[in-house]
Amino acid sequence: MFKKLIEESTGKSPWLFHINAGSCNGCDIELVSVLTPRYDAERLGFKLAGSPRHADIVVVTGPITQQSLPRVLRSIEQVPDPKCIVTMGSCPQSGNVFRGSYSVAGPLSKYVHVDVDVAGCTPKPEAVIDGLYLATQILQEKRKGMKK
Amino acid sequence: MSHINLLYLLDPLHFPIFSIMLYFLGAFCIVLFGKNRIVRNCIAFVATGLSLTLLCLLIKPIMIQNAILPYWMGYRVPAGGYAIGIALEVDALSLFFGLLIATAVFVSCLYSFSYMSEDDNEPQYYTLFLMLAGGVMGLVLSGDLFNMFIMVEILTFAAVALTAFRNRVTGALEAAFKYLVVGCIGSTCILAGTIILYQQAHTLNLAQLATIIPLCKGTNISIAFALLFIGFCTKAFIVPFHPLAADAHGAAPAPVSVLISGVLTKSGIYGIIRLAYFLFQTMNLGTMQFWLVFLGSVSMFVCVTMALAQHDFKRLLAFHSISQIGYVLTAIGLATALGASAGLYHAMNHTLFKGLLFLTAGAVLHETGTTDLGKLGGLSKKMPHTTVLFLIGAASISGIPPFNGFASKWLIYQATYEKAAETGNIGFAFVTIVALVTSTLTLASFVKVTQSVFFGQLPKECENAKEVSFGMRFAMGILAVLCTITGLFPNMVQQYLTGPAAKTLFHVSRYINAMMGSGYAESTMGASAPEAATRTIETVGVWNPVNWLMLLMIALLAICIVAIASKYDAVRENKSEKVEAKYSLFYGGEDTVFSQVGGGDLFWGFKHNWRHYFSFMHDLHSGIVNDYSLWAVIALALAMVYALIVL
Amino acid sequence: MILDALKTLIYVLIFPGFLFCFLTGLLLAGIDRKLVARMQKRVGPPILQPFYDFFKLCGKKTIVPAAANKTVFLIAPLLGLAALVVLQLFIPVFQFQIPAFANVADLIVILYLLLIPAVSIILGGASTGSPYAGIGLSREMVTVLACELPLVLVLLSVGRSVGMAIGAKEGITFSLSTIVRYQLESGSLICKASLIPAAIAFLLVIPGETGNHPFDAAEAETEICEGMLAEYSGAPLGVFKLSHAIKMLTMTSLFIMLFFGGIGTGIGNLVALIGLTGGAAAAVTMLLDVLVLFVLCVIVTAVGISFVHAVTARLKIEQIFKYYWTVVSALALLSLVLVWYGL
Repeated sequence: MFKKLIEESTGKSPWLFHINAGSCNGCDIELVSVLTPRYDAERLGFKLAGSPRHADIVVVTGPITQQSLPRVLRSIEQVPDPKCIVTMGSCPQSGNVFRGSYSVAGPLSKYVHVDVDVAGCTPKPEAVIDGLYLATQILQEKRKGMKK
Repeated sequence: MSHINLLYLLDPLHFPIFSIMLYFLGAFCIVLFGKNRIVRNCIAFVATGLSLTLLCLLIKPIMIQNAILPYWMGYRVPAGGYAIGIALEVDALSLFFGLLIATAVFVSCLYSFSYMSEDDNEPQYYTLFLMLAGGVMGLVLSGDLFNMFIMVEILTFAAVALTAFRNRVTGALEAAFKYLVVGCIGSTCILAGTIILYQQAHTLNLAQLATIIPLCKGTNISIAFALLFIGFCTKAFIVPFHPLAADAHGAAPAPVSVLISGVLTKSGIYGIIRLAYFLFQTMNLGTMQFWLVFLGSVSMFVCVTMALAQHDFKRLLAFHSISQIGYVLTAIGLATALGASAGLYHAMNHTLFKGLLFLTAGAVLHETGTTDLGKLGGLSKKMPHTTVLFLIGAASISGIPPFNGFASKWLIYQATYEKAAETGNIGFAFVTIVALVTSTLTLASFVKVTQSVFFGQLPKECENAKEVSFGMRFAMGILAVLCTITGLFPNMVQQYLTGPAAKTLFHVSRYINAMMGSGYAESTMGASAPEAATRTIETVGVWNPVNWLMLLMIALLAICIVAIASKYDAVRENKSEKVEAKYSLFYGGEDTVFSQVGGGDLFWGFKHNWRHYFSFMHDLHSGIVNDYSLWAVIALALAMVYALIVL
Repeated sequence: MILDALKTLIYVLIFPGFLFCFLTGLLLAGIDRKLVARMQKRVGPPILQPFYDFFKLCGKKTIVPAAANKTVFLIAPLLGLAALVVLQLFIPVFQFQIPAFANVADLIVILYLLLIPAVSIILGGASTGSPYAGIGLSREMVTVLACELPLVLVLLSVGRSVGMAIGAKEGITFSLSTIVRYQLESGSLICKASLIPAAIAFLLVIPGETGNHPFDAAEAETEICEGMLAEYSGAPLGVFKLSHAIKMLTMTSLFIMLFFGGIGTGIGNLVALIGLTGGAAAAVTMLLDVLVLFVLCVIVTAVGISFVHAVTARLKIEQIFKYYWTVVSALALLSLVLVWYGL
């Protein structure tokens, strides 16, 4: 009955859940700056959610340390479908300068399917918005692909 | 010959005395033949059930046809203008309280069958139980002040013994001792008051006293009033006596708590009504209205804040019990027809929902062995039926529409505010505000119980809990259904139960004439006979629960249809034995840990702002019986001084 | 009989029931978000954003936590929404009061019906077993308590004021239709000097009652993960969000009916000037009234909710309680005393 409406809306109201997996805080600050008046991602409907249960897009920053790995995976598990996983910064993609450290378990793509990678150390807010926008498109596709 | 006698006994005239005697007879029989469990239960069931039936049969003549049944034991009718014989007099007020009591006793008895089955000394329990019931029933049906005192004695001692019944529980003996001491102070007051009145009026018959006392004013009368008033206050646990109730309820088994809260406090309220409206006819005095309304409002507010500070399920319920009694006293103190009707309505509802809540507390205690809010949690998955019943009780007491607590509290708000508008006294408007805020505070403390007992996480110690037996659920179910029905049909309740009972309060001469012969009141009291104008019970506002419920149902149905039409079936739940990460709770990514938010200090945002008040109350309630006795004496002294000034 | 039933159905489902609440409530929430964004010099989300949010949530899977009581978890949001929609039926739109519902509930009842959505969200939150929900419900309850006292004082002053003015036998009235009718005849209550503090107090209560910033300690997403909603996902979460939006509509329209009743009709009566009569005139009048009501709701939202949201930071729970029981209650009490002494 509301199928089309729901599909349309899924792309227009992505709520973010942000996981810091051992990040140096650079990306975290940059993610928040995306929501500031200057870039205002809210005009695209982006909103930071407090709990993974509310989220559509999971943004992971940091190189996925051994300590944080199970927590990251649990939190990602708890996000209801359809969901999208975005890595932000180079760390969760390659390990960046932390690559090879005994305490780093990354990259994230070893454990879960990552939809969008936003590279950079740290990525510019414009790049982040671009990446997140791409994620909303994927989200919409996923919703369409969900069996009724 | 015997055939005629039998028919004669079926006359409704005899029902009141039978309903009292059945309890005492049952108690007596259980002592004799109560060794066998089935025999014992049968006797208790028959006694309580038959008594309830007899009183129900009286609804038609008394409530609808508006009769008053006097009953003289051994036909010692008044001779020479003096009533010497022992009398029962059942008017709508007595019958109303009688019905409440019989219902509470019957349900509590049903509950006891399974609840008490693991206790030792069961015969003694039922004996005391029926003694208590008979005592209260005798008190409300009696037409004689001295018999009222005797019944008060019987019920006090039965209640003390029942409080200490589970004397292996910590604090049971202490609670019983406290109750004994202060209860005896109360009984002594009643006896002393009775003696003074007898010395003044040379009669103990209520109807005759009611013609004599209002005419002779004086120091003695004032002191007698204060003594009797304080005596009945101890029975109703009005404010200076409230710590006793908390201790007694905490220690007593749940069905006994139902009796103490639903039945014993009612006897106190009944005594106060008889005293103020009938015997002394003082309720037309503004000062006397102020006294009752003030005591009621203070009880209402102090006890609800005390309840917020509790962390034991049963103690919390005990304080709420007195808080609700405060509503009743306030409404009755207004001395308007609407107020009286609202007060009696709330008294009835109090018996029903408080009984239900105490029984659910008993069920929780039965299954988990504790009532400490900090140690419980998550029982809704183990005891779903009990949870639903508890929620109905909690919604009722917190005044959530459409349950009965709301219907009566709503009438009380109207009554107090109308009284304020009628007298132009803004003080009554503040009573309305206190009543409204108290209701929300009640809701807060039941949210606390809901969260920390039935919802939240299940502690390890409670994992063996299971749903209680059918007998217990059945008893609770009766009360839950009654709570809903009396909430949904307030007009019916007012028309058939509380309305007639409330109207008797303003027709004292009818009560006197029924007992002493028609024309007696007019001839004795002459022109000063305080015959109330025909009072009607009118409300300003409107509240139509059935229509509201129907609209709500339509709305709910509409949502469900939309959900089904859009093929909403996206619910996912844990199917496997082990909890997957996906279905575990969110703790910032941590594994599931035990972190139940207990009830200890749930509303600190509220309590922080009232911390000085709470610490004052904490210091005041020392738990020492000497202090409480002192409070009783101070209360008595204040009451005497006030009565001397105003009467 | 059937016609009556059909009428009732239309009232409940379309106007002023579900459809109306759904559309205007979410629109109001959208305008609020846009206004806040503009006040913070942002572009802000589209005005239809709450609709997108709602439909998106409907399309997501609902995860029932293993620790939760499934029945309560799923029924609580429905109960809250249904209670709110039914409550909206009792609030008249200027002179348009559904006759069949006029004698169902009065002001005091509405005060308690307003508790049901709060209780349902508390029950839903508690049923999940989440500790965040535990903290959240504690704060929600304290917020409700905090708002209760000023709200009670305001409603009692209004009841007394109108009751005295119309010369009711009891000297008070709690009937919303009476209050609205009185305002049609004698002008809005806001024009009464004694009720101005009450109106301000009510305006200050609105954000607390709806749980909007800065009184949203109960749903603080940055500290306790939206409290009671922490475990909700998918459609039930959407229903809670919808309830929140409708509550904004309910509170603002209640405010307008209590204090600004009587203004709308003046505009409605213009219809007669154009020359319309009969059913068409009534329909156009009602449409205009609804439009006026909505515009007024938007203004009240802008002043009472959005502006406060944009300029303040979140208060701690004991500060919320203190604020309402001192400042706001004092205002309302002032009004009550003024009314009682006949000013």
